[in-house]
Amino acid sequence: MTTANFDQLKAGDSIDGPAFAVSRESIRLFCDASLDYNPLHLDDDYMKGDFGKTNFGGIIMHGMNNFGLITRMLTDWATPAGAIHRRLETRWLKPVKPGDTIRPAGTIKAKQTTAKSRWVVVDVAVQNQRGETVAAGEAMLEFPVSA
Amino acid sequence: MAQAQSPDPNFETDFWKDANLRKTWDEIVPGQPRQTIPYKLTQEAIALYCKAVGETNPLYLDEAAAKAGPFGGIIAPPAIHILLMFACTPANDWMRSPGTVNAGQSWSYNIPARPGDTITLQARALDKFIKRERLFVVHDNVFFNHNGEVICSGRGQTIRPM
Repeated sequence: MTTANFDQLKAGDSIDGPAFAVSRESIRLFCDASLDYNPLHLDDDYMKGDFGKTNFGGIIMHGMNNFGLITRMLTDWATPAGAIHRRLETRWLKPVKPGDTIRPAGTIKAKQTTAKSRWVVVDVAVQNQRGETVAAGEAMLEFPVSA
Repeated sequence: MAQAQSPDPNFETDFWKDANLRKTWDEIVPGQPRQTIPYKLTQEAIALYCKAVGETNPLYLDEAAAKAGPFGGIIAPPAIHILLMFACTPANDWMRSPGTVNAGQSWSYNIPARPGDTITLQARALDKFIKRERLFVVHDNVFFNHNGEVICSGRGQTIRPM
C-alpha cells in the first residue's frame, strides 16, 4: 500500500481497500440507504425466474454497492493527502451474492500534470473470495498544486 | 454523531406497485427529460448510507471533526448520488422498473453534497440499443445544489426488463 503523495507515486503502486462481507442483511441495508428496492435485491421467488438468458438463482447485491466500496477506498486514501476523488467509472462483471466477501483494490496507472493541476489515474477492481473479479473500472484523482 | 435514519420514510418500497405506469424500452425516447423532484439531503440519510457501505470517515459523520476539517462542516461521500438517483425521481420513473439491471456507470465529481442542501436532478435517457438480445438504455444525470452548483454528473447503462 502506497501513500498518496503525487511526487512519489508511480505506475504499478497499489491501493488496498477493506473487505466487505455480503449478507441478506447488508443488501437490505443498502436498499434502505439507497432507496433502491428493485426485487433483484429482495425477492427470492422473483429471482428464481430467468432474465433473458441469465438465471441468478437468488437475490444479488446492488452493483452500486461495489461502486460505494471503491469510492470508500479511494477517499480514505486520497483525502488525508489533500487529494480529491474526481471520477469513477465501473462495469459489473459478475453478480455478488449473500455469503460472498468482496474487496476493492486499486493500481496506479498514470500520472498527468495539466496547466492548473495534477492528476492520477487508477485502475480499480473488486474481487470476491474466490479471486474472481466482480467489478472493474478506472478512477481519477486530483492532487491540487499546493499553494 | 448523527443517527442513521431513512432518507425518505414515505418512500414506496414496493417497486411492483406502479410498474404499469413506467416506460418500457419501446416507450423510452432518447433525449426526453425525465421528471425529477427536489430532495433535501439530511445528516441522518448520509449516516445511513455510510452505515451501508462501512464508511467511518468523520468528515461524513462527526460534526465537530468535520467543522475543523477542509470542508468546514459535514459533507456526503461522493457516491451519495446512488441515493439521490431514487430520492430525486418519482415512483413512475423507469429506473425503478423491477428487473432493471445496472450494467455500469461513470461519474464525475465537482463539489460535495452537504446536509441541508436541496438537491435537484436533470436527467434523461440519452441513447438506447440492442446488444446480444438485450435491451439497453443509456442515461445521463446531473445533480445540482440549491445554489445551482454542479455536485456531480454521471452516465450509466441499464439492461431493461423484457
